[in-house]
Amino acid sequence: MQQDLGVRAIRQFDERTLEITWSDEKTCRYDVVNLRRRCPCALCLDEWTRKPILKPEAIDESIRPVRIDSVGRYALSIKFSDGHGTGIYTYQMLRELNPQ
Amino acid sequence: MSFLQNIQDKLRPKPAVITGDGTLNEAAVRAALSQVIDPDLHKDIVTLGFVQDIRITGGAVKVTVELTTPACPVKEELKKQCQTALEKIPGVTSADVTITAKTRGPQLAKPEVSQSLGRIKNIVAVASGKGGVGKSTSAVNLAYALAKTGALVGILDADVYGPSIPLMTKVGAPEQSRDGMILPPKINGIKMISVSMFGSANKAAILRGPMAGQIIKQFLTQVAWEDLDYLIIDYPPGTGDIQLTLSQAAPITGAVIITTPQEVALIDVRKAINMFATLKVPVLGIIETMSYFVCDGCDKRHEIFRAGGGARLAGETGLALLGEIPIDPRVTVGSDEGKPIVTSDENAPAAQAYMAAAGKTAAQLSILHAQDKGVLDHFSVVWN
Repeated sequence: MQQDLGVRAIRQFDERTLEITWSDEKTCRYDVVNLRRRCPCALCLDEWTRKPILKPEAIDESIRPVRIDSVGRYALSIKFSDGHGTGIYTYQMLRELNPQ
Repeated sequence: MSFLQNIQDKLRPKPAVITGDGTLNEAAVRAALSQVIDPDLHKDIVTLGFVQDIRITGGAVKVTVELTTPACPVKEELKKQCQTALEKIPGVTSADVTITAKTRGPQLAKPEVSQSLGRIKNIVAVASGKGGVGKSTSAVNLAYALAKTGALVGILDADVYGPSIPLMTKVGAPEQSRDGMILPPKINGIKMISVSMFGSANKAAILRGPMAGQIIKQFLTQVAWEDLDYLIIDYPPGTGDIQLTLSQAAPITGAVIITTPQEVALIDVRKAINMFATLKVPVLGIIETMSYFVCDGCDKRHEIFRAGGGARLAGETGLALLGEIPIDPRVTVGSDEGKPIVTSDENAPAAQAYMAAAGKTAAQLSILHAQDKGVLDHFSVVWN
């Protein structure tokens, strides 16, 4: 029985940065505007080709999350201030996005 | 006790039995009990904090040992070991060991948990790759077996298309509480909720995926489960929409996979195991049903669906084989009449196999919590 990567701590670091401490002790900080631009949902990313549908410039710099919730044991979902909230950000994807 | 533990035990420095002025004291009792190792958690019971209460009156010692689950499969064995260890202390005339249990959940406080699920210590998915393998029967018998050991248990029948738990248990109807929560009906002390409680039993639930998903979410968020040691979720068969919704909406502690022995069944079980791996739900182990049939005329063991499929799968995946349940008409009759075999015929081999499987499941959950690396089960961040 193996246990995979999990979230040990999650918090708002500053006005536009989300900070996650992973179960392997690594801490990553994410720019929330970039997270919106990288939304993996089927409206933002083509389901078959995995090519982006969403244009980065369509997302305003002022966009912020409203709330962030865990999804099962493997992902989180972010409800954004523009009303968009269909993206499921898997932990694996977040680790691959890792900006630092 | 395994060979390795035996060796570790021998290498462990024997703590001196401190009797001070020749009288018995607590330190001596603790030192003696630190020789007793929990076979699942691989640590001694003093380090694990299981020793709760020590009373010494003259040469008489009374000890209370609190285990992590009332369903502990090695309860009697541990009790015996404690007894022996205590009796070896010089000056002890009598030793009395009481075993109690408090089910442990995740060690970390959850930041914000839904009202409905917050007081459930373990959520166990009972799933299978395909239908008809005895998944609901197993879910019900596991639940009854856990409840028999004194644990607080609930069953969520999530098989929206073919709910069978109410038939198998003859449970009543739910009520609505004042604050709009659903109060699950209870039978044998077990709380249950099922789709079939909200419509006629003979009317098929014709539902599109999103509708079924909504119902499942309501079951998880609007049912007043209150304090439970184990919530058993009877999954629909397969790896589809509802399984995904369930695994997203609830922090499933672990999954038990049910299979029959033959290879064609195992193909789908591997898919179920893969699904849980993707969703990061730890698989606790495999229960093989319909393993064999013992003829009542000749006592011969007939392996109707081939032998050892579950064991082979367990070996291949590194998962625990929690049980091999024989085919027994009494299991079926029990299910049809609302009397699960673990309560109706507890000496039947199938009932014993289910009791043992429940104990092993509880043990796997305890192991999981002991390995808990401080990972959040459930979180919400509100942005400022």
